[in-house]
Amino acid sequence: MSGVPSPSAHTVAVLLDDALVTLNRAFGVLRRRNVPIEGLALHPSGTAGVSRLTFVLKADAVTTDRVAQQFHKMIGVRSVMVLANDDFTTEAKR
Amino acid sequence: MSEMLSGAEILCRALVDAGVEVIFGYPGGAIMPFYHALPDHPQLRHILVRHEQAAAHAADGYARASGRVGVCVATSGPGATNLVTGLAAAHMDNSPVVAITGQVSRPMIGRDAFQETDIIGITLPITKQNYQVQDVTELADVVAEAMAVAVEGRPGPVLIDVPKDVQNQKTAYKVSGAGGQRSGKTRHPTPDTRHPSPGSLEDGVRAAARLIKGAERPLIMVGHGVILAEAYAEVRALAEKTGIPVITTLLGISGFPDGHPLHLGMPGMHGEVHVNRAIQNADVIIGIGLRFDDRVTGNTASFAPQARIIHIDLDRAEIGKNVPVAVGIVGDARDVTRRLVAAVEPRRCERWVEHIRGFVRTRAEAYRGDLSPEAILASIYEASHGDSTIVTDVGQHQMWVAKLYPYQRPNTHITSGGLGAMGFAVPAAMGVHLARPNGTVWAISGDGGFQMNMAEMATMVQEGLPVKMAVFNNGYLGMVRQWQQFFHEKRYSCTPIWSPDYVKLAEAYSIPGYRVKDASELADVVGRANAQPGPALVEFMIEQEANVFPMIPPGGSLSEPIEAAPAGAASE
Repeated sequence: MSGVPSPSAHTVAVLLDDALVTLNRAFGVLRRRNVPIEGLALHPSGTAGVSRLTFVLKADAVTTDRVAQQFHKMIGVRSVMVLANDDFTTEAKR
Repeated sequence: MSEMLSGAEILCRALVDAGVEVIFGYPGGAIMPFYHALPDHPQLRHILVRHEQAAAHAADGYARASGRVGVCVATSGPGATNLVTGLAAAHMDNSPVVAITGQVSRPMIGRDAFQETDIIGITLPITKQNYQVQDVTELADVVAEAMAVAVEGRPGPVLIDVPKDVQNQKTAYKVSGAGGQRSGKTRHPTPDTRHPSPGSLEDGVRAAARLIKGAERPLIMVGHGVILAEAYAEVRALAEKTGIPVITTLLGISGFPDGHPLHLGMPGMHGEVHVNRAIQNADVIIGIGLRFDDRVTGNTASFAPQARIIHIDLDRAEIGKNVPVAVGIVGDARDVTRRLVAAVEPRRCERWVEHIRGFVRTRAEAYRGDLSPEAILASIYEASHGDSTIVTDVGQHQMWVAKLYPYQRPNTHITSGGLGAMGFAVPAAMGVHLARPNGTVWAISGDGGFQMNMAEMATMVQEGLPVKMAVFNNGYLGMVRQWQQFFHEKRYSCTPIWSPDYVKLAEAYSIPGYRVKDASELADVVGRANAQPGPALVEFMIEQEANVFPMIPPGGSLSEPIEAAPAGAASE
């Protein structure tokens, strides 16, 4: 996750259960929609049983938002944040 | 001190405690402990199917007809993989199904053991959630949670994979319930998805009411969400208060009465010309509980070019997914529509409705023996006094039923819409019967789809399920043949299909079988089949090369339908 993301990159941070099956479902969303991943990190969130999964997606804002919406409705996902490649941070909106 | 039970006993007990009355299944090695425990729980009626696919479709049919969870059970490996088509169908059409699969014992998992398959991995994209139970102490909570997940929010299938040694493990039976460790850990609905704040909901409703007030050519489009939310009265109130005409999608059919003066019909690929032209001319579309599927929209770039769309859906990921939306309202179809009815001002749309009526085309097809789809469906409607549930398969007959059957009562049309799974009708109708034991169920199939799951006739006989089966026999995989006619230079590659003698076949299963070749026989034969106390089969020898008209070419615009040739030219 080092280096400068490309201009069409967006970062999606997902708080989810630390269950392998939930991680697998999250990757399934990206695989099915064929969204290229530029970077990927999985860390403990600080809350027991919850992980923070961070993707850097090589995708425009619209595609990133669709992906975020799919994450939102997954069981086991607690929150989804979309971070644009500048410093602007926003909650994923409908 | 709680009594010690095996995992298999806990599975049965948890299903009983969840209110399950019927399960569809097929035993096998890795699920044998469950089947050993099952006879001690007579509250669970087990229906022994002839193929696990039928168990999943039957559970789906049961769920759609009852609004409750449909449960199916299979062993590991081939048993589990045979469920896949049925689970995918339930997933696409948002049907609450819980599948329980046996799995090889935990020490064998990942070692390519006999009848081992990674059913969790296989079903990840076609289930709402799935679980592999690693310890018997989790089992009761997993079952309770799976039953809840299947029905809550946007319904869907859930799979529980139970290793054989977990079924044999013993523990005390108790459900920790809400707030328990398991449910707290895995079930965490995002609040803004499932409980939109009332403020934003009211804003959306007000914005929608303003759009409706200013509209000159508004339309209501009703999808499956209206049936799932039982929003029939609310949708009808909205239509009648505003005079706005109503379109029902394939899965929205029977969500609004067919004979209502404001009902236009089905849109999309095989929608009537006047329905699609209404969409293309509309200035506001109120979409309730539908996802603007490609079979509804045709090419989205040219879909409803003048319309601003109000989209009401429980799943906010659907808002703006397929078509641009002017007002998106996330919520239950019944709740939101009720609020919308209160917010809109009374109005009429008589000129617009009259304008749409001007687009209506009369049908021009001719049929062998006058055995038209209209005549056949009218005979079924008459024989059952309009009181049956119609379960259709996939193909030409499915479109004829969708367009021509005069549905009056809510949720009496059940079909595999999203997945389009041939073979659905016969097993799903068994599930519908168990959900509605006092009503008549007709399973209508083509000669292709019927042959996919016709072994379930044995299930009907063994389990006493009086499903009436209608087979539309044209000797072709008719819808594919139709596509070949229009898009593949009439090269009828592999679409002529041979059938057995269905009357003799039915007799071999000790089921009364009938064959109809001429419209003059319809009332008598269909009436007799309908009156049979048990299952019955009627084969209709229909026009071989009849087509479903009109038709929008795949990826085409709703404005450019292929229409029927003049009468007499249909079977050139």
